[in-house]
Amino acid sequence: MPVTGPRTAPTPAPAPVPAARPAPPSEGGAGRGPRRRDGSGWWPYLLIAPTVAGAAFLLLYPLLRGLVISTQEFGLRELINGDAEFVGLDNYRTLLEDPRFWEVVRRTFLFMAVNVVLIVVLATLVALLISRLGRFGRTAVLSGLVLAWGMPVIAATTVFQWLFHSEYGVVNWGLTRLGFESFDRYVWLANGPAAFAILVVLVVWQSVPFAAVTLYAALTTVPRELNEAARLDGASGFQAFRSVTFPMLRPVFMLVICLEVIWTFRAFVQIWVLTQGGPGDATTILPVYAVQTALAAQRYDLGTAASVITVTLMSGVLVVYFRQLYKQEAEQ
Amino acid sequence: MKIRTLACLTALATGMALSGCSGGSDDSGGDDGGQRTLDVWLMRDSVSQEFQEEFTTAFEDAHPDISLEIQIQQWNGIGERVTAALASGDAPDVIEVGNTQVAQYAASGGLLDLSDRVAALGGEDWLPGLAEPGVYEGAQYGIPYYAANRVVIYRTDLFEAAGIDPATLTTREAWLEATEALNGPEGQQGIYLPGQNWYVLSGFIWDEGGDLAVEQDGAWEGTLDTPEALAGMDFYRQLQAHGDGPRDSDEAEPPQVEVFASQEVAQIIAVPGGAGLAVERNPELEGRLGFFPVPGVTADTPGSVFTGGSDLVIPAAAANQEDAHTFIEELTGEEWQTRLAEAMSYVPNKTTLAAAAADDPGTAAMAAGAANGRATPNTPAWAAVEAENPIKDYMTAVLTGRDPEEAAREASEVITRALNP
Repeated sequence: MPVTGPRTAPTPAPAPVPAARPAPPSEGGAGRGPRRRDGSGWWPYLLIAPTVAGAAFLLLYPLLRGLVISTQEFGLRELINGDAEFVGLDNYRTLLEDPRFWEVVRRTFLFMAVNVVLIVVLATLVALLISRLGRFGRTAVLSGLVLAWGMPVIAATTVFQWLFHSEYGVVNWGLTRLGFESFDRYVWLANGPAAFAILVVLVVWQSVPFAAVTLYAALTTVPRELNEAARLDGASGFQAFRSVTFPMLRPVFMLVICLEVIWTFRAFVQIWVLTQGGPGDATTILPVYAVQTALAAQRYDLGTAASVITVTLMSGVLVVYFRQLYKQEAEQ
Repeated sequence: MKIRTLACLTALATGMALSGCSGGSDDSGGDDGGQRTLDVWLMRDSVSQEFQEEFTTAFEDAHPDISLEIQIQQWNGIGERVTAALASGDAPDVIEVGNTQVAQYAASGGLLDLSDRVAALGGEDWLPGLAEPGVYEGAQYGIPYYAANRVVIYRTDLFEAAGIDPATLTTREAWLEATEALNGPEGQQGIYLPGQNWYVLSGFIWDEGGDLAVEQDGAWEGTLDTPEALAGMDFYRQLQAHGDGPRDSDEAEPPQVEVFASQEVAQIIAVPGGAGLAVERNPELEGRLGFFPVPGVTADTPGSVFTGGSDLVIPAAAANQEDAHTFIEELTGEEWQTRLAEAMSYVPNKTTLAAAAADDPGTAAMAAGAANGRATPNTPAWAAVEAENPIKDYMTAVLTGRDPEEAAREASEVITRALNP
């Protein structure tokens, strides 16, 4: 399931199957040519058929089933006995009228905004840093980034759990040693804002490497002369970045932001392992809310409705970004 | 531009990943050369390996046409596994279910109504703490299997060194004082009580006359914020302070029996079977462990305790229901109940069998406490409260210095919401 899979940079789609090699002129003749072209017609479809079928079964079917369940009354009874009744949009109405749901939506967007801003700012700074480092420093920083990036999500989350552990955590130990006695056995995850902040740190830490490496790769494509020319004209470093580098990298920034929006929207694993949405509701964002509703309260109908709303909201955010992206491309 | 298409695809794929999640179960029951296979799920620590082997051999000898397959399940995440099994149409034939969980599955229609078997199984003698949670709307779905409630397990050597006679600890006051004294010596804990043992807290709340939730005119309301419930929490806080129990975790993490076995801990609150497990981990404790019931507010009654235990249920989808009845008949019958009580220090499922276990000191302490046994609010929705467990958050909040009234009000609101879906 993609939620737990390692984060990977978008890879190009598999190269198209090479066109049939031209028949050697000496043999075959007219009879072979057309047959080969026929073959190249259906072979590619046959080759991608398993992938398409797998994707349809694993992604499309659950999505459609989720849409159906969200319009039914679907609890434990219906899960076990079948025969769920259609209730139209009642589930959506229930959710949208629930102030708790709106609080979760607000919290989700806050979580997303804080994370994305921090990730993009830090990643940009790191990328600029790398481009100014010598070979040794660059290798060291890039290696560090790749190592942090390659760490499995569950492993990293477990490490954070221990860092902030109330009894044995190194953070409490360090703070106490530094003289902050109030942090002796301080229970970080019992305090809403603290738990929220720890999750932000965790998600940012896990996400900066990808963004930084991508931005650094893009930075290397900016011709050095442009920046030098700007500096000669008296631009400060920040002005040069804003007027020269940033406009050139705008599409890449947009891409990174889009991907980070998606990834922070589904920072479900980290939250589930660390706090399960608690204390209280302090770290409950939409995916956590959906799972809580479906699995803990056995309201599969409300849970899927919340998921559908989540996907819709996320698509909305992305549509805005994509439109902007296309517009800029059209202008260029 | 290629990036555009790719980003779209990534967005679509991740979007879909958000929405889908499905559980399934596969089970390889079936016929085996004319023999019928009976699939049974029992819970971890429900039976020992030795007991399981003895029972299986005896059962298969008595019923040569049945092949018994017992699978031991972990408690963690069991709700989702049972739900998936009930929904799959390929369910095991018998499942052991925690007594507080039966109502939820019965309400869903996934269980077989066993009311017509009650008389044959000797239902009039069943422990009420097991039989009542097995009933839903007047029909018996859960057959009582075994019960256990918490007692205080203590180190006889540490009590002697401190000059404390456990027989005198019949009131909370005396208990608290003794625990404070036991916490005195360097490197020794008076009691290891993790901050989130809500079963223990429930007992203290019931002692004060409070409750976790009450039903009024068909609607449930969380009642952790009543003065009685707050008094129960206050006692928990005082007791918990006389040891190093972590304020933000429960008895399972780290396993309190292991802490008890490996450190100088004078007392823990656990089911008596915990003593055996501690000795297993640290043989030096052999002969140095004793039991007494959780003290009550006054000396006349022991403290209230949560009656834990299990019922056996037959899924409506079970393929082999006749044999499932046979299995339940044997395992809940007198012979095996007596042997289970001896082997596992559990309370047998019938009041008439209590004598069988009276020799064991742990079981004796448990039986004394069981007289004041209580259960969680009997509603199918209670399982949702346990799954989300606002009580644990509340306990940690109070123990880490938050205003108890405010925290209790918040937790009660969450309970109210969960109980009225």
